[in-house]
Amino acid sequence: MLNTERLPLTGRRVQLMATCLCDAFYDDVAKATVQVLEHLGCTVGFPEAQTCCGQPAFNGGDWPASRKVVRHTVKTFAGDEPVIVPSGSCAAMLFHGAPLEFEKESDLPAVESLGKRAWELGDFIVNGLGVKAWPGRFDSTIAFHRSCHTRGTASSAAASTLLGSIAGLKVVEFGEGEQCCGFGGTFSVSFPNISTAMGNLKLEHVRAAKPDILVSGDMSCLMHMGGLAEKEGKPLKNMHLAQMLRDALKNGGLI
Amino acid sequence: MSDDREAILGRVRSALAPLTERAPLPAYDTEIAVLRKLLANRDPLAVFADRLRGVNGTALTDIPALVKYLRDGKWLHGYCDPALWPRLASHFGPDFQVETEYDRTRVDDYAFGITRAAGGIAELGTVILKDGSTSRRLAALTPWVHVAVFSRAELFVDLPQAIAALGDDPNIIWCTGPSKTADVEGILIEGVHGPGVQIALVLD
Amino acid sequence: MKFQQIDQFAAELRADTRAAVYDGSKKGHEKRTKLLFDEYPDPNRLRVLAGQVKQHVIENLDTYLPAVEAKLKANGVIVHWAATADAANETVLKIMRARGATKMVKAKTMVSEETELAHFLEKHGMEALETDLGEFIVQIDHDHPSHIVKPIIHKNRREIATSFEKNGLGAYNDDPQTITRRARQFLRHKYLEADVGLTGGNFISAESGRLVLVTNEGNSRFCLAATKCHIAMVGIEKIVPRDRDLALLLNLLARSGTAQDLTVYTEFISGPKSATQPDGPEEMHVILVDNGRTEVLASDCRDILRCIRCGACLNVCPVYRQASGHAYRSVYPGPVGAVLSPLLMGDRFKEKADLPKASSLCGACQEVCPVNIPIPDLLLRLRDKGKQEGLSSPGTPPMGAWALLASQPLAWKASLIGGRLMNYLPTKLVPVPALRAWEAKRTLPPWRGGEFRKWLHNRPTKP
Repeated sequence: MLNTERLPLTGRRVQLMATCLCDAFYDDVAKATVQVLEHLGCTVGFPEAQTCCGQPAFNGGDWPASRKVVRHTVKTFAGDEPVIVPSGSCAAMLFHGAPLEFEKESDLPAVESLGKRAWELGDFIVNGLGVKAWPGRFDSTIAFHRSCHTRGTASSAAASTLLGSIAGLKVVEFGEGEQCCGFGGTFSVSFPNISTAMGNLKLEHVRAAKPDILVSGDMSCLMHMGGLAEKEGKPLKNMHLAQMLRDALKNGGLI
Repeated sequence: MSDDREAILGRVRSALAPLTERAPLPAYDTEIAVLRKLLANRDPLAVFADRLRGVNGTALTDIPALVKYLRDGKWLHGYCDPALWPRLASHFGPDFQVETEYDRTRVDDYAFGITRAAGGIAELGTVILKDGSTSRRLAALTPWVHVAVFSRAELFVDLPQAIAALGDDPNIIWCTGPSKTADVEGILIEGVHGPGVQIALVLD
Repeated sequence: MKFQQIDQFAAELRADTRAAVYDGSKKGHEKRTKLLFDEYPDPNRLRVLAGQVKQHVIENLDTYLPAVEAKLKANGVIVHWAATADAANETVLKIMRARGATKMVKAKTMVSEETELAHFLEKHGMEALETDLGEFIVQIDHDHPSHIVKPIIHKNRREIATSFEKNGLGAYNDDPQTITRRARQFLRHKYLEADVGLTGGNFISAESGRLVLVTNEGNSRFCLAATKCHIAMVGIEKIVPRDRDLALLLNLLARSGTAQDLTVYTEFISGPKSATQPDGPEEMHVILVDNGRTEVLASDCRDILRCIRCGACLNVCPVYRQASGHAYRSVYPGPVGAVLSPLLMGDRFKEKADLPKASSLCGACQEVCPVNIPIPDLLLRLRDKGKQEGLSSPGTPPMGAWALLASQPLAWKASLIGGRLMNYLPTKLVPVPALRAWEAKRTLPPWRGGEFRKWLHNRPTKP
């Protein structure tokens, strides 16, 4: 469904797109991503000029504004190294959304070529680098939330593969897993009633499964669900996949 | 109105004019949608009976069984296609009142209607009705119990087979179980405007 | 901030209505999923294929439409074309008047909802009775359907029982079976008194000219067994290339919409009744209806015309489940409606430009669509279209300033640092409406702009 064709890897030099959310709020997620990639033998470059993938304006319907940002991003991530993104939603923007909004633009080829090098983190680890089992340890019961932008991609299966292999980690399923958490970008603030109703419903299902931690490959979903939970005085501990992988390595004395 | 035709076709043409290529019709084998595992190595009539039962219909293979079914349900007054009646008559006792003419002013009189079907589909438990072989559309539709009679040889195995054999009858109805609705709170109720009981009588 | 209409509607929706819609949708979705995956090793492959078949038809309507017309005529069907809703309604009226007909019984067809046929006919002194149970209840209640397959998903039995009593259908009784039996009794005599039966059409085969109707209640059969004239209103996009393609589409339609392998009745109608058949129409008309479909065809959202009206997208949609169908103010609600309804408005698009925004773009709809319509992509295109037409959008943060910031690295990095101010500012004073709207319902994490880059710079370089 989504265009997930990737260029084959030719080495272990990669570039990191931290994502604007991690740049602004979740530095530890970006840090954990670097630590995990370096543990796997990658040399991680961080183009300083990066800002955002362009999705907020794309979803909001302001495509000219979005294209401006995408063009900047294409320039920033020039070259042919894989671009690793700790976010299913930003990765999907690069390989699906951007080509869609550049359909009639003359620089479509440049946008498409970035898309073919863009990997969500879990997908990169399992399907790019071929890692099927994760070392280390993390003693906890977790629930894994699959972000909607990973539909039709290999990311959720990849995350499940990794999480399912960590010693000490129990992954519990919860009801209505296919239903959106309600973030949806600007939807969260322009349709606040529906967005929070969706989020609260998701929290109800997650809590019924009694995990200690809610894990996801997307901080946007966790920001929304975590923010709702905290606002109602019942905070739910949440972690990004990268943090879980990094902490497992730490607990296992591997980094 | 022919203006409307030209207007519509004109708009269709100009809407499609910018397309540099048109989406092709994909080639595929209709087998991909067939429930082959269900059918494999099984007697089609047995599959048909199972599948019909699964939608709350009933398959019977002899006339006495039909008569017993109707008698047990106390459906004693009904209609039968006059072309079928000679074969069935001797099995129906005096407690039954069977008319071979359908009177649409007495629609509520007929508790059952026995009409010929043109065949069935094993894969789905479907009975095939056609204008040519249904003595009266209303007789197959209005009574609470509909008995569709066809022969074993007229049983198709799968849906694509049945489609290929549609032929040129102007009104072909595939009936898969009794009529139903779930409009009220999603609760399934059988017997809405059509029959509440669907029987297939499959004879040799 | 001003809320979007659909969001406001959702907030004000009665709890019991929302519960009815939620439960009905969720059940429908879960049953559909179980059935498809129990019976097929790869149901998604079937959906993709069916989507390709329908897309092929849409993109070749210029050949298929005349072909279908020719085939219908060869089968003895009288073919009419209706460019607008008015034309469609007028055509039906003309046919009825020519026959001296005054009573119509109609089966469920969404096209007739688009044109408001029943109201039109009643205004012109005709009786037009809905026979599908849900539509019948909508009609006697002067209500509107809220789901394209389950019209009264929003109603409970008590509301229905009250309507029945008010309309002389018996003393209050909210037992679903009693309700259904009463409708059966009342309507069967109406069919038999009617002059004309009206149906829609789920598919028309260009190969054989067969009109295919897919129903459960027996009402369309009754319309076509009891009356002498059949009128079918069919959207121009309902064509399938060959009879064999019906095998694929019929296998997907009922499974997707109502979790049945097939609906109880699948009718293949290729003309008036046969000569030896006493019951049924002596005359058959098909009205090919445009009513905005050619606009959709001309847009870059033409894929939506693949839709076979199964309702699976409504059932899975988290927004539909919270807001219910009436929130969309359209004949077609839910994900399909969020694309189709604004486009069918033609140059009045802006009246429904908010519909494509009522989505978190989760993509669940595309995953269940039996013809694999990329609904999220189409919603995005319509958002772009709305912006291009300068339509305002309450609640959506303006993106111009943000885009400037996000294409100027130095300004970006400065904001990362500057944003720390937010950690010290009470919510009400934060000068970004979107952030204030956020904090009304959720906490915001502490701003840590610049921390990651600092860590990256300051860590010891690897050997």
